[in-house]
Amino acid sequence: MRLLSRVADRLYWTGRYMERVEGIARLTQAYTHLVMDIPQGSELGWDVLVKILDAEPLFESRYKVYSEQNVLHFLIADEANPGSIYQSVMAARSNVRTTRDVLPQEVWEQVNELYLYTREFAEKSVGRRNRHRFLDRIQARCQAISGHNMSTMCRDEAYRFMSLGHLLERADMTTRIIDVGAGALMDSERHNVSMDPLIWGALLQGLSAMSTYRRKIGPLPEAAPVVNFLFNEATLPRSLKFCLNGIRSELGQLRKHTDAVRHVERARRRLARFDTKATNWETLHPFIDRIQLDLSNLSDCISESWFLPTERQAHRGHPCRREAQHALSVRPPCQHCAAYSALAPGAPLPQQDLQLLPEGAAGKALHQLAAGSFRQFPGARGVSGKIHRTSG
Amino acid sequence: MTKIRWKSHKNGTFFDELLTPAGKPRVAARRLVNLLQSLTPEEMSTRRAAAELAINEMGVSFTIYSEGKNIDRAWPFDIIPRVITGREWDKVSRGLTQRTRALNAFIDDIYNRQRILKAGIVPAEIILEAGNYRPQCQGVSPRFGAWAHICGSDLVRDKDGKFYVLEDNLRVPSGVSYMLENREITKRVLPELFENYSIRPLDDYPAKLYAMLASLSPRERQRPCIVVLTPGIYNSAYFEHSFLARGMGAELVEGPDLFVDDDDFLYMRTIDGPERVDVVYRRIDDDFLDPEAFREDSILGVPGIMRCWRKGNVAIANAPGSGVADDKVVYAYVPDMIRFYLGEKPELASVKTYLCMHEPEREYVLNNLDKLVVKPANESGGYGLMVGPHASRATRAKFAKLIEANPRNYIAQPTLTLSTAPTFINDTIEPRHLDLRPFILSGKDTWVTPGGLTRVALVEGSLVVNSSQGGGSKDTWIVEGSQ
Repeated sequence: MRLLSRVADRLYWTGRYMERVEGIARLTQAYTHLVMDIPQGSELGWDVLVKILDAEPLFESRYKVYSEQNVLHFLIADEANPGSIYQSVMAARSNVRTTRDVLPQEVWEQVNELYLYTREFAEKSVGRRNRHRFLDRIQARCQAISGHNMSTMCRDEAYRFMSLGHLLERADMTTRIIDVGAGALMDSERHNVSMDPLIWGALLQGLSAMSTYRRKIGPLPEAAPVVNFLFNEATLPRSLKFCLNGIRSELGQLRKHTDAVRHVERARRRLARFDTKATNWETLHPFIDRIQLDLSNLSDCISESWFLPTERQAHRGHPCRREAQHALSVRPPCQHCAAYSALAPGAPLPQQDLQLLPEGAAGKALHQLAAGSFRQFPGARGVSGKIHRTSG
Repeated sequence: MTKIRWKSHKNGTFFDELLTPAGKPRVAARRLVNLLQSLTPEEMSTRRAAAELAINEMGVSFTIYSEGKNIDRAWPFDIIPRVITGREWDKVSRGLTQRTRALNAFIDDIYNRQRILKAGIVPAEIILEAGNYRPQCQGVSPRFGAWAHICGSDLVRDKDGKFYVLEDNLRVPSGVSYMLENREITKRVLPELFENYSIRPLDDYPAKLYAMLASLSPRERQRPCIVVLTPGIYNSAYFEHSFLARGMGAELVEGPDLFVDDDDFLYMRTIDGPERVDVVYRRIDDDFLDPEAFREDSILGVPGIMRCWRKGNVAIANAPGSGVADDKVVYAYVPDMIRFYLGEKPELASVKTYLCMHEPEREYVLNNLDKLVVKPANESGGYGLMVGPHASRATRAKFAKLIEANPRNYIAQPTLTLSTAPTFINDTIEPRHLDLRPFILSGKDTWVTPGGLTRVALVEGSLVVNSSQGGGSKDTWIVEGSQ
């Protein structure tokens, strides 16, 4: 079975975007619950959620204050935010749409339904009243899709690339959550230490790890054991160790894996050397920074090893790669930046007569269509325009 | 129980596919008509709703675009099939085979010895100066002399009931997936008729297409590497590209998936490295195929693919340059081609065509604009044409100017009275005009689809069947025996 590089590329990003949708839904939900538990007077700011995604510049270019309404709109429904649920669903869908041939038939239908649901309800679900239900549904749908893939897909290369995308994105999200959570908590100027367990609990909740933590470690979430648990618990699907091990074993089954394996091994060694007992913000933050850099390098290396290599290399150093170092990565827009940015975000797609496209007119239409066809690259809206300006 | 209202033509102005001028069902259509006559408007509507549901369901599993304004399935489906007898179809099919063989011989000749030009049968200047003539193809001899491997010819029936070829689409004809889909839908909504009729099956089209493409492979292999080259998801026929790729078990690729290496072979990029490609079924126009040879601003194509093809290292279907015979002026010469290359008598009629480039014919056209259909030589899809009897005085004057300014670019034909078939409109059955696009595959052998895509003009009295202009489609049955 051969697999086109482009298809592998899209599967990988499908995995990343699907995982991102679920991760953000989970995180947002956990945080909303947490905020409700915190007594008045010592509120946590909503800016924390934006910080987790390292998206402050983008946020600030679009909103004045970090209000609940603004932040939640940014995370759930904002079309300009490549990390928003809406935008990630869009991106996942456009990837699946062009890789349907290698996916179980129902996956397209389910992803399309997820998209239709998101499109219909994202905007209406920013307020607290509908938010919970919406985020619940999003998570359930994502899980249904992952479950479907897991129970029907051959464990071939198509599966492997999608799985790599999931694991990488999850490792990224886990470290982000720890980083920001810990940053907020370990800030020595903060008072009211009695709330710490609440916050650590919310953090575990955000990673679906609360009940496992209770069973394995104990009922009271505290800094060092929580961090250790989320980093090193090899049986926990959202722990860093689980993800890195998973990546290592998927990579091992691909040909030409030497370079990519080197990157993941570097991260694994880094994790093994890190002493979670002596956790404090001063050591934790730089460590997470390094791990994220490892992950980002690994992602680039996967691109270069298996997806249109020449194209990508030519792309290095191009402005479209100058994203803020830590912002959520989006699939690079490949060779055609020009055609791409020429098309304003949200511009209507060329609407052609569906069938029996007039042969003569086809020629004329094609060039236009060409410009249109690049919008299929996920993140198109996110990468074009706004991010360039804010990150340059 | 109210029967469905059934409007038919008075005094047989048009040929009707299912009814005789007396309003009785034709022999082959008897069972179909009987069934329709036994249904109430409600029952018909239920079946139509079932068809729409089936289309939606298939839409989900087969296709489909649902972004912005729906660009999917802008093509309404009429549930009443069109019926043609096997015996009649065999004749048409022979005619199409003959015609396609001649067209392929013509293209091969033009890019090689140009015998037909030297013999003065076709004027050299109209070929060599045409936009569709590609000097880049000069001297190439594809396998079996086949250039237009997939041809979609548009047929119409005049009031005498005779089939005429209206045009040949030799570049990237589309619509075949709709032909197949229409059959699937009809099986669901009129299942009882499939028991009583022996209808020639269509669903082996992808297999036939595969076999034809495989026969073109420059390497003798058990399973040659075949790819379908699409301009991408925003092309209106992307659904068909993906459908055919899946049907053949071929790879669906976009330009950047392919590259030509220094050895002048074509490769596709896979995760395990480059893999050599044998056959490209391209669904993009010549202009965009290779920026080295044609439009250099094309980003859809593959640089160097022409080099690779000229060396015989890869087969391209349809071959670049095939469009040279896809021209309404060239159309006028097809009967001559059949006599010249095959030494045979044309079995399928062409429509009388006046070439405005010839003085006396132009004179005639200008004097008879109110009776003729005027078409630009090199457009299709019903664009830029004028139907004389329906046109305003101002439009006729405009076309007279256009013709005088650029006579080479215009042809005229008598207005045919396209045949009609009963069509379910709102809650009555009314006659509507239609045409037919069969598909002809040419590789080692030539094969014609049993039937084709019937397009129907849903607007009363309209002769324009294109989907962009209010057209719909019907299933087309070629039935055996004479039930």
